[in-house]
Amino acid sequence: MNKEDGRKSVLVIGGGIAGIQASLDLANMGFKVYLVEKSPSIGGRMAQLDKTFPTNDCAMCILAPKMIEANSHPNIELLTYSEVEEISGGIGKFRVRVKKKASFVDRSKCTGCGLCQEKCPWKVDSEFELGLGKRGVIYIPFAQAIPRVATIDKEHCVYLLKGKCRACEKVCSAKAIDFEQKDEHIELRVGAIIVASGLGLYDITSLTEYGYRKIKNVITAIEFERLTAASGPTMGELRRPSDGRTPENIAFVQCVGSRDFRNKAYCSSVCCMHATKEAMLAFEHHPGTKSTIFYMDMRAVGKRFQEYVARAKKEYDVTYVRGRPGRIEVDPENDNPIIWYEETISGRVMSFEAELVVLAQAMIPQITKEFADILGIELNEDGFVKVPDKLAQPLDTTKPGIFACGYVHSPRDIPDSVTQASGAAGRAAEEIASLGSRGGE
Amino acid sequence: MNLEDIIKQTKTYYCLECGKCTSICPVSRHNSNFSPRLMLERALMDSEGELVHDRELFSCLTCYACSDLCPSEVDYPVFTQKVRSLASGQGEHGDCAHSGVLFSLMRLTAHSGIKQKRLDWLDGCRTTQRSEVLYFVGCAPYFEPVFEDIEVSPVNIARNSIKILNALGIEPMLLPNERCCGHDLLWTGDVETFKKLAHINAEMIKESGARKIVFSCPEGYRTFKIDYPQYVKLDCEPVHITELLAQNLSRLPLQPRVKQEGISPEVRKVTYQDPCRLGRHLGIYEPPREIIKAIPGIELVEMEHSGGESICCGTSVWTNCSSYSKEIRIERLSEAKATGAEVLVTTCPKCQIHFKCAMVDKGAEKGPDIKMGVTDLVNLVANAMETRE
Amino acid sequence: MPEFEPKIIAFCCNWCTYAAADIAGTSRIHYPANVRIVRVMCSGMVDPIYVLKAFEKGADGVLVAGCHEVDCHYLNGPLKCDAMFAKLKRVTNTLGLENERLRREMISTSESPIFAQVIEQMVQQLKKLGPSPLRGGVKA
Repeated sequence: MNKEDGRKSVLVIGGGIAGIQASLDLANMGFKVYLVEKSPSIGGRMAQLDKTFPTNDCAMCILAPKMIEANSHPNIELLTYSEVEEISGGIGKFRVRVKKKASFVDRSKCTGCGLCQEKCPWKVDSEFELGLGKRGVIYIPFAQAIPRVATIDKEHCVYLLKGKCRACEKVCSAKAIDFEQKDEHIELRVGAIIVASGLGLYDITSLTEYGYRKIKNVITAIEFERLTAASGPTMGELRRPSDGRTPENIAFVQCVGSRDFRNKAYCSSVCCMHATKEAMLAFEHHPGTKSTIFYMDMRAVGKRFQEYVARAKKEYDVTYVRGRPGRIEVDPENDNPIIWYEETISGRVMSFEAELVVLAQAMIPQITKEFADILGIELNEDGFVKVPDKLAQPLDTTKPGIFACGYVHSPRDIPDSVTQASGAAGRAAEEIASLGSRGGE
Repeated sequence: MNLEDIIKQTKTYYCLECGKCTSICPVSRHNSNFSPRLMLERALMDSEGELVHDRELFSCLTCYACSDLCPSEVDYPVFTQKVRSLASGQGEHGDCAHSGVLFSLMRLTAHSGIKQKRLDWLDGCRTTQRSEVLYFVGCAPYFEPVFEDIEVSPVNIARNSIKILNALGIEPMLLPNERCCGHDLLWTGDVETFKKLAHINAEMIKESGARKIVFSCPEGYRTFKIDYPQYVKLDCEPVHITELLAQNLSRLPLQPRVKQEGISPEVRKVTYQDPCRLGRHLGIYEPPREIIKAIPGIELVEMEHSGGESICCGTSVWTNCSSYSKEIRIERLSEAKATGAEVLVTTCPKCQIHFKCAMVDKGAEKGPDIKMGVTDLVNLVANAMETRE
Repeated sequence: MPEFEPKIIAFCCNWCTYAAADIAGTSRIHYPANVRIVRVMCSGMVDPIYVLKAFEKGADGVLVAGCHEVDCHYLNGPLKCDAMFAKLKRVTNTLGLENERLRREMISTSESPIFAQVIEQMVQQLKKLGPSPLRGGVKA
């Protein structure tokens, strides 16, 4: 248990771009920040992206410096591969029990050389690569992972399950492997909590009309991102799943699971823009690629977003078709998906053959009801953090002292998430700084 | 009730004009004048006058392919049904096929004073005067003379249904003066006559003391299950014969020999057409399949679009039947043929009639003529119960 | 109380039966006024819907009459009419309509007394049977 005065510390849950930004802002203000992240590395969803709209900047190039800063900041303590188990108390005096999961690697000794993951004979689907690539059971999640240490996934480790192997231990020159390691529970005292657990992906397999997981060449947008990312499973070569060919005719289908009362009624907010970006990227990877985006409404509301879309049309040969496809079938001869849609401007029912279809999968807040109960906050009917006063205190949750930012708060893009993160940091700082002056804890 | 009320009741104001409905609508694929989305758009733009007089209002098959996918959960078939009742009030009724004879018959049975003679086909069937189980015959005795020329015998379906019930130890009761269920009238907007039929039927059923009504026709079944309760009190449970059979498969004496009705004795492969009313309207997809699979010597092969993705047989409530309807049927029959099946099995007498009609209509300009056996599941089962050729 | 007067609709083919009815009139051969004659070009063009509509609108009896097979102007009209009528009869029987209410005759131009006789017969039979059970206010 830390003896520090809770009023000078903040807990940030979620190590994505919003969590990192909030942590940096608070740390720079002099607060002690505990940044808890469930996975072995911070970075979150942005680390999986290739480029960001509307500038088409490299995502990792913007993210990595922040990750490094968060890691080296004297006021920030990174608690990766950790989960919040219990919270008690209130604003100014929260008591948080955090479970630091056993990674079976001594982090003080691990140099991040990566030899163990190379030599691990057991490969499983990589969560980071969304199943498009493999990782070792001992692994560093991605090249720029922070902290750059290996983690053993105990659900698949053959030694932990059956008592055989220990190959990683044999090759580790730093002798960092420790199969005796146990989960550690620590207690933190913090004055405020920021929830920034980020963006999840809605499972669209049940929307059978789109053929996801039935038709090989129908993939989701985030899978597309991994295929075009230079650090991805195909080293940045956009290859379609069925035959590895580079597709020259790509269709993007918007609102898959979003704006749909049967699934998620809300708009996921970023898909119109990311589809435009992906179409541009496909062209850059392979000039002459023809992309068609099937949309309902083009939500290009941010600064310079409409110009971005216009540029896509003019310079990257992207065609926008207003019509939400009703069914995707496949031509068994060449595995080309065939999209059935109504071109609503003219009213004609048509079919469109593409070589690759990219579905704009609905995005969901990454927070469960159970975790919200642990925190003591409410969620709204769509599962986002409930904000009682949207106009006056838009980042406050239903529990005083707990704030939210980023996608878990509401659907938004990276710049808005960063803005909200700074806002949440400001709110947290404001509340706990004023506690003493308000004459009570 | 006016158009505004209908829009509120069916929540069509949620329509996002996305076009998903039109993109999979079998009618829109062939008939470019029809689009569910445009119909709704017209309704929302307050063009009631235009909408009720549009011929295409009666082109919808009310098959639910659209609403199953609609992200705004608009119930397009119910919207269509209600707007048609407005249209009916203004004298519109679409183009009635067969010169409107079938509708005339339905209306004629709505008279309380008639005493029909509709049960002279019962040879080989065991029925009883009073039972907990009532078998609803439907329009079979009226359809028989009309459609026997295209080799469809609705009366045979009824007969075989009762024989199967007998094999399960059930001797059902029949209503000697049973009326048309009213399905076609309801869906073409003649709600008044529908209500009359509902009342007469409900009264007779109440007097009969039936607790369960068995249907071979999915339209009668849907009507009794979903529509009647909105107008009359029914104290008994409607059930489709396939549901009953699927629950009692082990008790059916099924043998692998089949004959009759254009099916050769060596039949091995069959495919199954999900009728709209049984499938998408009521969610019954598995029981008929379980039954087919239980018949020895029969292999079920599925069409490209099956289950919830099934394509309608092309005409609904005998209205606006046109060359587009035939195109839809040819599309569907081509799919059936492509499975390699020799027989198309369905559980709706109307599907059977419509597919057979497409086969006898020799006009080749709308696509290839396709010859295939078409039969009702009940006939397949009854054949499999017979012990000798 | 006034006696029940049945209403009969007679679909008569232009060339034979209609002419026969016409001649009956001009020859002062009396037949009851209960019949309304609808002239069709050929008995073969009589569609079942005409008959059913007649019953819907309150007819107590319907007569479908035309040429003899050998006389048809259009060669095979009476045969078509016979085939249609056979099916129609099964339908009206199922409806419970008494046999006498729907009648088929072949009456040529020179057989006007037969036309009168048929009508007379039908009216007598229908008076005994009473109004059609299918009567009673159904819109077209």
